[in-house]
Amino acid sequence: MSDAARLRQVWMIARLQLMRVFFSKRSFWVYLLALFPAVIFLGHGVEVKWKRERWGAQKTSEAALQSIRRGDSDEEVLRKAGTPVTDFRSESFRRHRAHMDEGGGSEPERRYMMFFDGANRWDLRFENGILQNKRSRPLNDFDDDRQIYAGVFQYFYLRLAIFFGCLGIFMNLFRGEMLDKTLHYWFLIPVRREVLLAGKYLAGLMASVLIFGMGAVLSFVLMLWPQDAAQLSAFWQAEGAAHLFWYAAAAGLACAGYGSVFLASGLLLRNPIIPAVVILAWESINGILPTLLQKLSVLYYVQALCPTPPPVDANAPLLVRLLSAPAEPPPAAVSVLGVVAVTAVVLWLSARAVRRLEINYGVE
Amino acid sequence: MSGPAPEVVFDDVSKFYGEVLGVNRVTLRIPPGITSLVGPNGSGKTTLMNLMAGLIHADRGVLTVRGLSPRAPEQLMRVLGYATQYDAAPRGATGMDFVTTGLLLAGFPAGEARARAGRALERVRMQEAAPRKVASYSKGMRQRVRLAQAIAHDPEVLVLDEPLNGLDPLVRAETIALFREFAAMGRHVILSSHVLQEVDIISDQVILIANGMIIAEGQIRSVREEIHEHPSQYMIRCREASRVASLLFEMEHITQVQIQDDRLGLLVMTRNRREFSRALTRISLAGHLVESVVPADENMGALYEYLIGGER
Repeated sequence: MSDAARLRQVWMIARLQLMRVFFSKRSFWVYLLALFPAVIFLGHGVEVKWKRERWGAQKTSEAALQSIRRGDSDEEVLRKAGTPVTDFRSESFRRHRAHMDEGGGSEPERRYMMFFDGANRWDLRFENGILQNKRSRPLNDFDDDRQIYAGVFQYFYLRLAIFFGCLGIFMNLFRGEMLDKTLHYWFLIPVRREVLLAGKYLAGLMASVLIFGMGAVLSFVLMLWPQDAAQLSAFWQAEGAAHLFWYAAAAGLACAGYGSVFLASGLLLRNPIIPAVVILAWESINGILPTLLQKLSVLYYVQALCPTPPPVDANAPLLVRLLSAPAEPPPAAVSVLGVVAVTAVVLWLSARAVRRLEINYGVE
Repeated sequence: MSGPAPEVVFDDVSKFYGEVLGVNRVTLRIPPGITSLVGPNGSGKTTLMNLMAGLIHADRGVLTVRGLSPRAPEQLMRVLGYATQYDAAPRGATGMDFVTTGLLLAGFPAGEARARAGRALERVRMQEAAPRKVASYSKGMRQRVRLAQAIAHDPEVLVLDEPLNGLDPLVRAETIALFREFAAMGRHVILSSHVLQEVDIISDQVILIANGMIIAEGQIRSVREEIHEHPSQYMIRCREASRVASLLFEMEHITQVQIQDDRLGLLVMTRNRREFSRALTRISLAGHLVESVVPADENMGALYEYLIGGER
């Protein structure tokens, strides 16, 4: 049989298998994992848009807000800036008034006002009617949002969503069919086992890249959605397209790498829990492993492709900081080649395993 | 013309499932024709079939199917069709899709694949149900669609796990005719069955297996001839049953003679078939009309009883 004919077989198996991957009941939670960050960013975007629209109706000029000084009375502030978006007198103030009316002590009356200049919110704090503190901050900080996206992508998407999503998709390619007692169908057609493996892997790869690649891109787009138009324009002109590409590439390569690992696990082991725990532990301690061992990891390569480093909480416990600390990142080309090499080696081992694989439904 | 030997050959083949014996040191040469594997549940019939199809691999020994190794599915599955006892149709597939897909994967062009699938489904009387989803089929229809898939690529070796289960009498008869047609073309039809009467009717040879070991193999008659512990049984129809019975009973090799209720028949048990044949000739020449002599235990039921025991 010619190589072209075998490639046609690979493609046909992949097409048939795709239906099973996309519409299997076992795949449902994979969609939830892939879309969870998008839902979070959508929620954030809706909140920002809603606040901008609602607060914008009571917008105060930035100049008027700048003219307010510490020591101004609340009445002066209201004269300069107009009606605030929110005006809040603390519970203690009400208690204070009641107390004073009864000839009681001297707890200060507190009042908080919030103004909006179209881009920033201004928070003013008064005590006994005198401005004590004035603070402004953007309604939405683009840099913060990008950092949050980087954190969600690296800590949730790469380490959990794609990891467990690929576990679900790729382990089921052989093990799931063994449980369903349908694997013999593939073994009884005149195709090499390696061709079958390639077809099934291709199906899993296409499905996972589509699901998680689209999930990553959708989350990124939803993260950008509420941002200021001028900032967005500058971002796209500078590095936006490159960021989007590398996030999508990292998601795709993670699917390729983890996919091959879980495909092999599905061929070699009956219980998916054991490889999942072992690989998750291995990937988690990647940052503290010796350099040589770090290279035997999918995460090592794909997190190096992420364009923005994730935020690291200096107050987090040491163990958490160690586990979340990325290893020294290799160059992008090395990362891509590294994932391809890890994938190729694991697929080669899988090809050897699939040649020995037997149908034995009785013990499943 | 030289080519691969048209036999299925097991040479000292053993298969274990961990600690559990599947088959042990099986040596067989299965010629073309209809071969039935007979044995109790768990005796190793399906193991033998799975070994032939390459679904499992032998732990020791060598197995070839018409000269091909079961470890080379790309070649083997072009000459072998296997109808297992398990359903394997993709979700939502119609009977037509199910059979056609296998042919497309085998490399047949789309038009030819559809034509072959149509013919195969027609052979098993499934042409009307072909556009319906396999999930909606009855047990018998599923059995037939699996058979259609197994025969669609015109295999040289047809392996069938309990192929007559769930079939109604008409389809059963047609399916047996199909097996005979395959066998008549010099192909292998290797099947397992629990219905011993059917095995009697359809088999050119039988393989009796128990506890993973081959108990006997060959044509039913020759297997029976090898069983010396049990006297051979014959049913004789004659007018003077009592007289013939007394003549027979004088002979040393005759162990038992029973006169039938209608007094026109005898059930005779003998330890020496040849001597029995000579004795009958002498009785006939002496003027006692013998209308027919039929072996009463040259059938699978008797072989099974003698070699394996009561459990089926």
